[in-house]
Formats: sequence, structure tokens, C-alpha cells
Amino acid sequence: MSAAFASSSDSKMKNAENDNSNKRTVDSVKKKSFGDKNIKSDSNANNSTVIKVKSVIPRRRQDLLKWYGWGYKDSMFTLNGNTAAFTGNRYSIAGHNLPHLGQWAIDNLGIDPTREPKIPEMPTNFAESRLPEPIRLELEEIALVSVDGMDRLIRAHGQTLKDMTQLRSNSFPRIPDAVIWPDTHEKVEEIVACASRHNFVIIPFGGGTSVSGAVTCPANETRPIVVLDTSDLNSILWLDKDQLLARVQAGIVGQDLEREMRARGFTVGHEPDSYEFSTLGGWVATRASGMKKNTYGNIEDLIVNTKVVTGRGVIEKSCRVPRISCGPEWEHVIMGSEGCFGVVTEVTIKIRPLPPVVRYGSLVFPDWESGFHFEREVARQRLQPSSIRLMDNEQFRFGQALKTENTWGGVLLDGLKRLYITKIKGFDPAKLCVVTLLMEGSAEQVADREAKLNNIAAQFGGIPAGATNGENGYTLTFVIAYLRDVAMEYDVVAESFETSVPWDRTLALCANVKQRIRDECAKRGITKYLISHRLTQTYDAGCCIYFYFGHNIGKCTDPVSVYEEIEEAARDEIIACGGSISHHHGVGKLRKKWYTNTVSEPGRQLLFAAKKALDPDNIFALGNMAFEEHSTNSTEVRSKL
Amino acid sequence: MSEQVEFVDILEPRRTQLGIFSFMTRNWYPQRTLTVDKYYSPQDLKDIVANSVFLDSIIEAECSRTGVNKEKLHQAVHDYLEEMGLDKKLHVIRWMGIIFLKICFMMKIKMFVNEAAVFELKSIMGKNPVLFLPTHRSYADFCLMTYLCYHFDIDFPAVAAGMDFYSMAVLGRRMRETCAFYIRRTLAGDPLYAATLKQYVRTVVGKHCAPIEFFLEGTRSRSNKSMPPKYGMLSMTLMPFFAHEVPDITIVPVNISYDRLMEHSLFAYEHLGVPKPKESTGGFLKALHNLNDHFGNIYLNLGSPISVREYLKNETSHSKETLKPLDLQQLTPEQFKKVQSIADYVISLQQKNTVATISNLLSLVLMQSLMKNKPLEFEEVIEEVGWMIQELRNLGAAVFENDVRSSVEKILVVHKKMMRLDKDRKLRLISGVLTDLSSDVKKKMKGHILQAETMVAAVPIVQLQLYVNPILHYLVPPAVICIIVHRSAIVRDNLEVDYYRVRKLLSHEFFHLETEETNTFNKALDYCIQNRVISYNGELYTLVDNTKIQYLLKWSVLPALTTLLKCAEVMTEQKSCAHKQALKLVQQRVEVQRVHPYCLSLEATANCLSGLVAANALVKHKGETDVIYELVPSTMQECHNLVNSILPSFSVDFASNSVVIDHKALSRL
Repeated sequence: MSAAFASSSDSKMKNAENDNSNKRTVDSVKKKSFGDKNIKSDSNANNSTVIKVKSVIPRRRQDLLKWYGWGYKDSMFTLNGNTAAFTGNRYSIAGHNLPHLGQWAIDNLGIDPTREPKIPEMPTNFAESRLPEPIRLELEEIALVSVDGMDRLIRAHGQTLKDMTQLRSNSFPRIPDAVIWPDTHEKVEEIVACASRHNFVIIPFGGGTSVSGAVTCPANETRPIVVLDTSDLNSILWLDKDQLLARVQAGIVGQDLEREMRARGFTVGHEPDSYEFSTLGGWVATRASGMKKNTYGNIEDLIVNTKVVTGRGVIEKSCRVPRISCGPEWEHVIMGSEGCFGVVTEVTIKIRPLPPVVRYGSLVFPDWESGFHFEREVARQRLQPSSIRLMDNEQFRFGQALKTENTWGGVLLDGLKRLYITKIKGFDPAKLCVVTLLMEGSAEQVADREAKLNNIAAQFGGIPAGATNGENGYTLTFVIAYLRDVAMEYDVVAESFETSVPWDRTLALCANVKQRIRDECAKRGITKYLISHRLTQTYDAGCCIYFYFGHNIGKCTDPVSVYEEIEEAARDEIIACGGSISHHHGVGKLRKKWYTNTVSEPGRQLLFAAKKALDPDNIFALGNMAFEEHSTNSTEVRSKL
Repeated sequence: MSEQVEFVDILEPRRTQLGIFSFMTRNWYPQRTLTVDKYYSPQDLKDIVANSVFLDSIIEAECSRTGVNKEKLHQAVHDYLEEMGLDKKLHVIRWMGIIFLKICFMMKIKMFVNEAAVFELKSIMGKNPVLFLPTHRSYADFCLMTYLCYHFDIDFPAVAAGMDFYSMAVLGRRMRETCAFYIRRTLAGDPLYAATLKQYVRTVVGKHCAPIEFFLEGTRSRSNKSMPPKYGMLSMTLMPFFAHEVPDITIVPVNISYDRLMEHSLFAYEHLGVPKPKESTGGFLKALHNLNDHFGNIYLNLGSPISVREYLKNETSHSKETLKPLDLQQLTPEQFKKVQSIADYVISLQQKNTVATISNLLSLVLMQSLMKNKPLEFEEVIEEVGWMIQELRNLGAAVFENDVRSSVEKILVVHKKMMRLDKDRKLRLISGVLTDLSSDVKKKMKGHILQAETMVAAVPIVQLQLYVNPILHYLVPPAVICIIVHRSAIVRDNLEVDYYRVRKLLSHEFFHLETEETNTFNKALDYCIQNRVISYNGELYTLVDNTKIQYLLKWSVLPALTTLLKCAEVMTEQKSCAHKQALKLVQQRVEVQRVHPYCLSLEATANCLSGLVAANALVKHKGETDVIYELVPSTMQECHNLVNSILPSFSVDFASNSVVIDHKALSRL
């Protein structure tokens, strides 16, 4: 669910000190293995430039994170009658009442806020671990291993709707048989070698925020499955402020990486909406995109070197160069490989000095189309600030519904603004759209950019709507991801999906997809639903469109299937309209249907050839993209012990 | 260095031509080691280090590990750099040069240099950094190389000096201004200091454009012979090459041989366990007074320059280290092994460049007469020295002396406190002065507290041995063959096996290249056969009738083998023993058993213990305060038997030897 808005403002995202939650791993780890004492120490006297990072997220993720949904367990939406609220103290709206949200949900999705939310009990029964004892002992020699049921369950899935449904009902057809936490590249090599020897499956697991099913346990795998949790691979191996590079172990969590860099006056600037929980290695494996890609680039622009342990050894370029002409770039074979070729262990990544000025802005346009043309023009002139996003009217109104209780002054000011926009400028409140801006740079650069953007906006009928609106838009990004949980608790299934599309086909694609969803809903008698979209990234040749769709399950017996059918129809429509299979979520298991068509048959063969070269034994049997999901190898576990 | 080398006394022109002053104040345009666009001042170098990515990364990591704030760590780096950083003040160098020359004249020394090698070196300078790696036998080494560079218009070498000098009033500062940089003896326990030093050395090598000079052995060799090298400093200095910051590094091995060491009596006491006095300016001034004497010749023998690139045959990269920032590139374990091999090789070249001085030869003759308990008349001495010269040249040593008689006469003046002709014109060794050590000194003694009588008898012999030591590496290989064959006739295979075992046991006492051993053995065997030490009947090697050369070979290895045997005995009894305790016990045993006084040497004992470790007769552990040796009984038994079976037998009374003359008797002469 790397959805919605995003934010760069740490001041708004109050990741407040929380003693319990910040307590790092070791203390909170149960004595899981008696092999602990045998684990070789990795004290490497030579590596004195290594910065050990204390991760926010503990090894026992369930201590801090919601086991049955998104994010921190202390942070969630609650509905109590008509009054909604957001709990905890981590985000700007946390601890506030949200007076408009309840009514909005009733109006748009027809929920019944008076009944009890459906919150699942933590499961106590788990499928028995199939990992043979001798192999477990062998693995314990290498690194910490757990076969605890809960540890395995919460690493069986990503964040798709289906994942969430199966998680809440503890009905996964397959969960991993063990979890292992290596903390060095060398240990990963040993683990993969062990897997080759004994023919078990390894699933690399970073933050578990995948929304493509990529990390979800393949249901029909008969071999033992070991999840390789990369969260202990989170040291900064070196930091070169002069070259503006850092070598980082790939398991580092986005917010940890960003915090460490900021503390030293730098930023990576890669901020996908999931960056509180997703990891560097995960970004590489999915070809991730960050909100501020206009300034810092997408993951493929940020990476200088990757080191990957494949089933056939370590693949890494031998030089650290800005560009190379040396046949196909194999880094790009690893990027987006969705875990099927190996484990990313170390990455050399670009860093930038923190910008002196960060300013938000917003613009209001009378309708989607004028907002769209504005975005197109900004891209044509390559004047994009760090982030520029266009929200449709539904999202604008949803944003209003998320407003917290206001002071008198605030209400008055809001009233005046509304008066100005609707009465004086004559914008239709049911049609107007908002562009949010995030500008970074020197004071001069920012002021200059803002003036230019306002100028272009004026050409398309847009008017500036202030920094606060812009900032609110970005800060809500992280909160929106929590909505799906409360929705499910009140019988609404929801999901987001995205695509990239050329400029000339964008308007038609948006209209057609929305219409197709309405048609599909009508066909199924679904009346209470929400469909909304945004334009979140712009490029020379096109943009990224992000859709939200949710519906009240009503009397549906299998709401997930219904939802998936509708999403599939929507994706068919997207593809037909010239959009792509995905802009940054990846293919995973959810979008396999469109893979071959997207890359052509020779492309698919190339994928198989790569697999054969890098992982012929199918150790990394994640079954994403064009790969099959049942094990092709003999079901016998080759154990020499 | 068997070929004849032309040496020139570079002090000679100062005595005849222009005065000292005008020479030291002449215009001076030195040859640099690198021709580059930008030259960095000593302060620039420190700044580059302080602002390096490497130290920044270390500080970041240290800060996140310990929580010490970065400002403090930056300050610490700054302080370290102030402490270690070299400086260069030409006027100071000129003044120091004048003082140096004055002292040289006071000491009446001649400074012989193989000029041809210097010119050859100069001709290839300018392309890449140059390392001077001299032997270190005396404090004088510091000045000699710097003066040599001034004389030949080579930029002043940056010299790595121990912290002992840092604290010397005035002089410490002056040394810094003549391009010395200071390094602490131990880097353990202070990673930030270690990192700062590493980066400083790397920067100096890569950017200073002047030669770098340091002593591979890490300290003055108290025994006047080569010791196994230390690898740390060489690793640091070769880093710019392995990181390909520079195209190559030229290494110049230098052997400095002295007719007389200023420190010889201090060294003799140190061998016995009396600690060295702390370096101080006061001490220096007091010592100055003693320098008004004859010190004979000093030979600076520059070996042929080695190109590190060629030595490694270009096998330098391709390591994954290039993925790191340049500054953070470290030696890989394979590269470190190469550094080790270079270091060992350079030490062996220093040995090969040894110039056997008349002091050495005369000491050999005197020691031999001591072993025979038979004083030699002057004419016999001259004859014997001539014979020694022949034998040593046979063995490949360079002897730069033609007029034996006048040279010997000169050396008798130089060493008049150690040896002299008695009234019968017989050469005698002068005994030590009986002095009671103060209780203060006794407290600081490193070994067993020896009796005053032992010390009196031991000091002159140990001192004499110091002049025998530098040429032992020529004698040891044939000597070992000789004593093995002496035990009983032997087939080649067995001879070879025993030879290697003995050499391994002595590998620390007599440094040699493990990789060259087969070669060395073959050469020594040929030598022994050609010079009728042993003979070969197609099956067995047997000893030839008693010959003069056999006698020399046998006694030459006596002290080392005896020490080895005593170490083996002590360790067999002790089973497990801390290093310091082992030293004491061996010394005690040697004192009681009245064997060769050089066996009292703590250094020799330590070397033999290391040899036993190398031969796996002992296992070394790091104890809490000291190294602890653990006995491997069966291997030790084998080693003991081997040494015992070949130990040459001499019955010499060292305490009342007819060659030793009581110093009190001197006054009656």
C-alpha cells in the first residue's frame, strides 16, 4: 500500500521518541535458538568506517507494528459513532478528532459507524515448520533463526488486499518455515550456499510493504521456505561526503537511512510513501520511485553499484563509475527482479546535501483538465519542483474531510478562502482540483521557481492557494495508508493501483478507467464505492497516474474476488488505453497476466535465461513476473545430515 | 655485494675545500621525488589529512559507536596531527648541518658513500615516491641520511621518528623542522590515532614529493645485526601504490655500517637487562662530551633501487577495494602478504649490502683468540685479519679496506677502550669496570638481577660480539652444515632436513628469507665442499680434518645455539611460562652455568623463544599482561635433541680468560 500522498516534512511526521518502540532488537528478541552462541562474530577490525544504525523497527516487528495491517500498532483510525479520530502521537493528525470524516464515510461508502470494528485476534495456531532439524541447526550456525509461528506469519505476505484478508483470517495457504537474520554480506552468501546444498527456498524480505504480491509466500511451494529478513543488514558501511556517496547494507529501512543522512547534513531524497517501513534492497528489487524523484531521481538514477548474492555467486560491477558502455547493464537486470534472482546485500547510493529551503505550495484549478494541462506545460519546460501532484476533486474533498477540529480563526480563514475561490473566481466546488508543490533549493531558487510556476498556472486558470494546503497534502500521505485498515474493519475493501502513461493518452485513460470501474460496479450492483485518481509524477514523455478504488462489500460473499475482478478490468482498460502494467509497484503475482504482453515473448525468454543463469535451482522461488508459482524441482529435500 | 664498490668519503671536501659554513649556506636546489603541478607545504599536508574522507568516515563511525561528539574527535585528530606532523625549515636544517659537521669532525669520522648508487638513484627520481629504508643501528642514522641528501642535492627525507625524541627539549622541535614526523610506538587502543597516522603517512608518501625514510626493523637493533621487519609502516607507505594514487614506489635499501657505535656500551648493558636511559636533551649534551674521540669510518651503502611495481610483476590490482572511495581503500589480505614479502626482501638486501669493516674483522679475530684462550701478537693479528678478509670475500662479503696494517692500527685507536695491545704487543680485550648497580636501576632491570661479577665479565664480551654480529649472516649457513656433519656423517636428504630445522629455530636470531633457503643451503654446501669444510664421497657428507675455517664456523654459532638449548631446557621444565619470566629463568641458568656470556642477552633469548614458536615447540598465547608460552612436549623434545646433538663443544673460561686484561692493569702499562 505504498499509496497516496507523501511527505518530506519530518516536523509533521512526528516519529516521536517512544521508548518501547525504539528499543532495538536484541533485548526484545526471545531466546529463539540455542545456536546463538555459535554465531560467528562479525567484528571486522578493518571496517572502522562502519556506522551501525539503530533501526526504529525491532526484530520482533509485531512489538511495534500492527500485525494485521499497515504501520505502527499505536496509530490507527477509530470510528466511534459519528466521531472519527486518529490515535497515537506519530503523525500530525494523531490525537485529534476528525469531525468530518465519519459523515464523509457514511455518504461515500455507506458504512455503519455504530457497529463494532472487526479487529482480529492474534492467531495462536500456525502451520508446522517444514524445515528439517539438521538444516535449521546448520542455519543457526550462520545467523539467528526463528521458527516461531508469529515471526513466520508476519513475513508471509506483503500489503495487498488479499494479503490483508488472509492475514486477518489466518488463512494463508502457505507461510514460511523459518526466518533468518543475517547481518553481513558474507552470511547471506553462506545462507544461499546452504539453500543450494539442501534445496530449500529463500524469500528475501525487507519491509514487507509490497503491494504486488511479490513477497507473498508462493502457495504451492513444497520445499521448505526460509525467509531471509534483511533488517539486520542495516549498517552504513561508509559515507563519502566529498563524492556524495554512501555504501549501505540493503536491509536499511528508509526512515533510518534518511534520519542518519539528515543527522549528517545529507539526504538520499528517495521517499516512496512506504519509506517509513520499506528498505533499500526492496526499492532496488521493485524499481521503486520516490515522491521527490524530480530532484533526486528514481532508484535507478540513485544507484551507483549493487551487490547481489545470486544462486550462482555474487554479481557486482567491478568499478564505481558514473556511467559505463559495456553491453547491457546488469544492474538493471537486478533492479526490478522482485527477489527472483537473489538477495541485494549492499548498495552504493548517491546522497545530496540537505537543501537550505524547503517550501510547500498549492494551486487550485477549476477542473481536472486545466490542472492536467498545467502539469504538462511544467514538464514541457522541465520546471518541475521536487514534487508536483494533481489531485482530482474526490481527493480534494476527502482531504477536506480529514481536517481536524479547527480554531475560530482557522475556520474563518478557511471560509474566506472558500468564498474567494468559489464565489469570486467562480470555481465549481464539485469540480475543482488541487496541485500540491514541494520546492527545495536555495531561497533564491525556490522563489524563482515558485514565481515561474504561478505564471504557468495563471495561463491555465489556476490560482495559488497557499503553503498550508500544500503541506497538508503531503503530510497526509503517510496517514492515508492507515485508512484501508479502518475501512476493512467497517466492511469496505479498498486498494490503490497505478500506471504510467504518455501525455497524449492521459486524459482519455483517466476518464475511461473511471468509467470502466463505474460500469463494473453497476454490473455487480455495487452502489457504495469511491473512485479517485491523481497525477503524481511527471516526465518528459508522460506521467504517473494513481487510482484509488474502494467499495462497501454489502452482501458480497467473496468481496476480495469481486474487488480483484474489478481491478483486473481496470488494468485491462489501462493497458488498452496505452498505460503500463505499473509505474513503481511492480508486477509481482498480481499483474503476471500482462507481463509477457508488456515485454514481448523474447523478453519473457530473456527473463527465463537470466533466471537460468543466476538461479538455476530456483532457490528464489518467489514466482513473480513470468515465473511459475509451483516448485519445479523434486520435492525431496536433499539433506546430507 | 661481492663486487668491489667504490666508496667516497663525502666529508673529505669539507675538510679541504670551502669551509663548512659556506657549504651549508650555499644555494640549494634539491631533486624532488615527484614533479607535479602543485607542491604542498607541511601545513597543507596536515590540512589534507584533517579534511580527508577517510578521517571523516572514521569520526562518523566512532561518534555513532561511542557517542563522543564530532567536534571533540576532530580536535583530537588535529592534536594528533600537530604531534606527528613534519615541518621543514631550511635555516634550521642549515644550522643543524653545521653542528652535524662540527660533531663529525670532533668524532673524527669518515663518511663513506657509494656515490655511483646515489647518482643512479638521482637519475631515476622525479617519477614516483622514494622510500629510504636504512638499517638502524645507531641514533646517528637519522642525521647521516639527511646529510647525505643535502650533500647530493636530494630533497630532505621525511623521517619517521619515535615519540622518544618528541619530548626532548628544543631538539625534538628542531628534528621536526628537519622533516621528522613522530609516531607512537603502539597504536593499540586508540583507533583514531591509528587512523590519523595511516592517513598522514599515506598523504606524505603521495603528496610530499620528498623521500620517506623509516626503519623497517622499527627500532635500533641493539645487536648490530638485522632483525625481522615490522610491517605496519611499510603497509602505510605502500598504500598509495596499491590504491594507484602513484604509478610506482621506489625502495632504496641502505646499509649503514659503523666502525664504532656511539651506543655500544649502552647496548651491551641493555642486552643484559639494564634499561636504556630516556632520550633527553641533557643526555644528548652529556653524550656530546664523549664524542670527542675517534669513531673510525661509517659506510652508507645504498642498494640498487627496487621498483615495487616490478617486484610485484604488476600483480597489484584488481581488488574489490576500488569500489570504495579512494581514501577508504585498504590493503587486502593478499596485498598485505605482498607487503610482508617486500619487507623481508628489503631486510635481506640490507644484509647483502653490509660492508664488513675492519672493526668487524678485528673483533672476529679477537673473539676467536678468546675462544682459544690464547692472546695473539700484533703481527699474528694482522695475519689473521688478512685471512678473515679472504674468507669473508669467499663467502660473498664486501670488505672495503686495502691497507690492512694501517687500518688495524687505526681501529685499535678507535676501540682503545675495548681492546688494546699489552706490553708484549698482544691483543687483549679490556674487562669491564666493577660497579654496583644502584637499587633504582635494579628495580628497572628487565631480566634476572645479575651479579656484579657476571656483568663485569659479560659486558666487554657482549660488546665485542656486537661487532661480530653484522657479518654472522655470511657464516651461519655453512656453520650449520658444518656442525651437523660434525655430529656424524650424513646423507644429503637428512642434512638438508636438519639444516632447515636449525635455521627455522634460529630464524629470529639470524634473519633470513624463508623463500631463499634452498638456494642458500646449496650455496653453503658448495662453499663447504670447495673450502674443505666437509667432503662428499658420493653418498655421505663427512667432516674434513680439523681446519681453521671449521673452527671459525663452529664458534660463530655457539652463542645462539647455546641460548636456544637453554631456552629449550627452561621451557621443558616450566611447561607454561610468561615471556618475561622465561627471559629471567634463561638468564639465571646461563649465569649459573657460565656458558658464553652473549647467552645472557635478553634479545637473543627472546629470539630463540620466537624460533621455538616458529618450530611449533612452543605455542604462544596472549595473556593478560604478557605473552604466555605453552610447551608442546614432543616437538620440544625433538628440537632439544637436535640442538644438543650438534652443539659444538668448547670449554672456555670466560670469567678468567687470558685474552681479557683487567682494566686496572691498564694504568700500570
